[in-house]
Amino acid sequence: MIDLKTAGCLALLAFNVNAANAAANVVSFQEPVKNYRSYLIEGIGQALAGARRLHDRAVAGDLQGAKAAWISARAGWERSEVFTAGFVPELDAQIDAWPNATSGFHAVETALFGAGRTAVEEYTTALVKHLDQLLGSLRDMPLAPQGLLDGAVRLAYEVGDSKADGGESRVSGTSLDDMRNNVAGISFAYRTIFAKSLQEADGKLATTVTMQLDRLIAIIGAPDLRRIDALALRRASEELVIALQSASNKLGLRRTALEPAAQ
Amino acid sequence: MTPRRFSIAALVLGVLGVIAYSRAVAFPVGGEQTALPPTTELNEDALDKPREVFKSEIAGAKSYVISLGDLAFNSPGILGGVARRGGVSCGTCHVNGTGNPKLFMPKMSTRPGNFDTTGPLFNPKADNFVLDPVRIPSLRGARYLAPYGHDGRMASLRDFVRTVIVGEFAGPEPSPMILDAIVAYIQDIDFLPNPSLGPGGRLIGRISESERRGEALFMKPFPHDPSLSCAGCHIPSGAFVDHRQHNVGSGGLFKTPTLRNADFNAPYFHDGRFDNFDQVVEHFDRAFDLGLATQDRRDLVAYLTAVGDGMQPYEHEGAGASLKEINSFTTVLGTAIPAGDKPVVSLAVDTIGNELRELTERYPDRKDTTVSGGEQQRGLARMALKELVLTLRRIDMAVTDGRTRDATAEFKNFRYLMVAAVPALLARAEPWSLFNPTVHDAHYAALWQVIQTTRASR
Repeated sequence: MIDLKTAGCLALLAFNVNAANAAANVVSFQEPVKNYRSYLIEGIGQALAGARRLHDRAVAGDLQGAKAAWISARAGWERSEVFTAGFVPELDAQIDAWPNATSGFHAVETALFGAGRTAVEEYTTALVKHLDQLLGSLRDMPLAPQGLLDGAVRLAYEVGDSKADGGESRVSGTSLDDMRNNVAGISFAYRTIFAKSLQEADGKLATTVTMQLDRLIAIIGAPDLRRIDALALRRASEELVIALQSASNKLGLRRTALEPAAQ
Repeated sequence: MTPRRFSIAALVLGVLGVIAYSRAVAFPVGGEQTALPPTTELNEDALDKPREVFKSEIAGAKSYVISLGDLAFNSPGILGGVARRGGVSCGTCHVNGTGNPKLFMPKMSTRPGNFDTTGPLFNPKADNFVLDPVRIPSLRGARYLAPYGHDGRMASLRDFVRTVIVGEFAGPEPSPMILDAIVAYIQDIDFLPNPSLGPGGRLIGRISESERRGEALFMKPFPHDPSLSCAGCHIPSGAFVDHRQHNVGSGGLFKTPTLRNADFNAPYFHDGRFDNFDQVVEHFDRAFDLGLATQDRRDLVAYLTAVGDGMQPYEHEGAGASLKEINSFTTVLGTAIPAGDKPVVSLAVDTIGNELRELTERYPDRKDTTVSGGEQQRGLARMALKELVLTLRRIDMAVTDGRTRDATAEFKNFRYLMVAAVPALLARAEPWSLFNPTVHDAHYAALWQVIQTTRASR
């Protein structure tokens, strides 16, 4: 039950979110989304293949092999995060729970990279099952352009969060890889689905988005997480989010709310 | 070296460090990919924070210059290299203008609460190749406490602040305006009021017998050198300092620290070697052959504790306190935007945005397995805070482009959200936030477990 005061607050925020939603164009994203679906299937496929290899290596007691497989699986997953949080939130929570995960990538990470043990069969079995389930549903799942833009915007914001504490994958030391794969996923989603339409609607804004993306990519090109200028990263992330939010209007989409629960 | 002027210089510091942060669950930096050394402890998750009392707020409100100084003091952007990348600001060590008794950095600290300002981490050029950490002092009442530095090497607070920024933390040369602002901020931080201290620094009111006896001992000349006494250096009528350096048998000349609010300033001595007043009194008894009986020591400790007290030393860290600070920082934008002051607007946007992002993390997202319930409330709180961050960024971009009118409109929107929407949304999400001690402890215990697992295997 939402009381009147909260409703008022929501109205204020909704005004903010929808403020730029005036001159919508009707754009068809059917073909670009088809291309993106292939990318998504490939990414989750890589995550699943890696998870299967991870399972096998862990069962064989091969710690180094299991670690390498975890990293490979993780890459495919992180590239797909534009999609996962918004479209399959339950699976996302099981696969990528944090911080004291009892399932998913981070439960395995703590065991392999933290404790140095390979007794993770329970986790890897569930991980394979969940990724398999996800992959199986991808071919026919409706992929609304609005949801994909929302995912890209939210992920772009998240990339700018402080990693001073070591970041999401601090135990394996692969948080920078997470960020790079996240940005690769954002970049692919934008360039595949939205760039052409935005170029037609507002060439200047399209150039700005591309420049912001390139700036973000350059910042996370640092040799390791410790070398990243946190303030510059945050600035680049926020400016990209703002540019993508402006783009939503030109593309005939709603401006993204930054949390799925508030959409 | 002639330690003739022995006095109870360090007698000062003291006590009750144990009360420091009541619910603090220490959370260190984890992993191997952090700008700060792994296992660094910043105590940023403490639920109780030192209370800040400002001189200017007694009569009215903080001026623009003081608010700007407060903002800069809490901005990693004015420091350089590792500090900037690691999110360290002046306020990391001097929490709300006091000390940080739990701060610990491997290879830079020898115990919680001290720090090597001439170590290799933050500015290799300033490295003296000796691990010689000094206690992180409280800045309460700093305007009464010249000279500055643990050894009192600088008469000017402004020179000292510049040395810390540029020399110790490799920051770029600060503008004169920023330097003046930080000095104004520090000079505005008051001691906590202590109703037991009367005119001339004498104890008044309901004073125990032990405290009275302690006060008499404090004034009494030392048996083997009547020219010395505790009060000779810790002058009660002068904020319990004499503005001089002394050798009290701790390895050099160090300035007399104040006793005011010292209950909350542990650890004690220049290097933080003592945890409490008992150890401090014992040191002076031994170093100056004072011949104190057990009861004498207790009485001195009771006196120091009475002098070092202060009203309401800590405040519970909740959304309200965070928003209050953010609102204070925001006043800077009210002046800087119309003036088109790009550097100050950028500094403010980066610093306030950082605070807002940190506040957002107090409302865990749905992937956090340590929190259940309140998903919608947490989501709305997070969304509202993120909207504020982006509104600030739009202000920064508009000012950079010379679009003052757009920046002003965005600022109006920001203030409106801060007043009308955000406090209510945060209040509704508070039961599921890290401001709730139960949620807080569960969250950090989980993180701690991950870190422990990692450490155990290395």
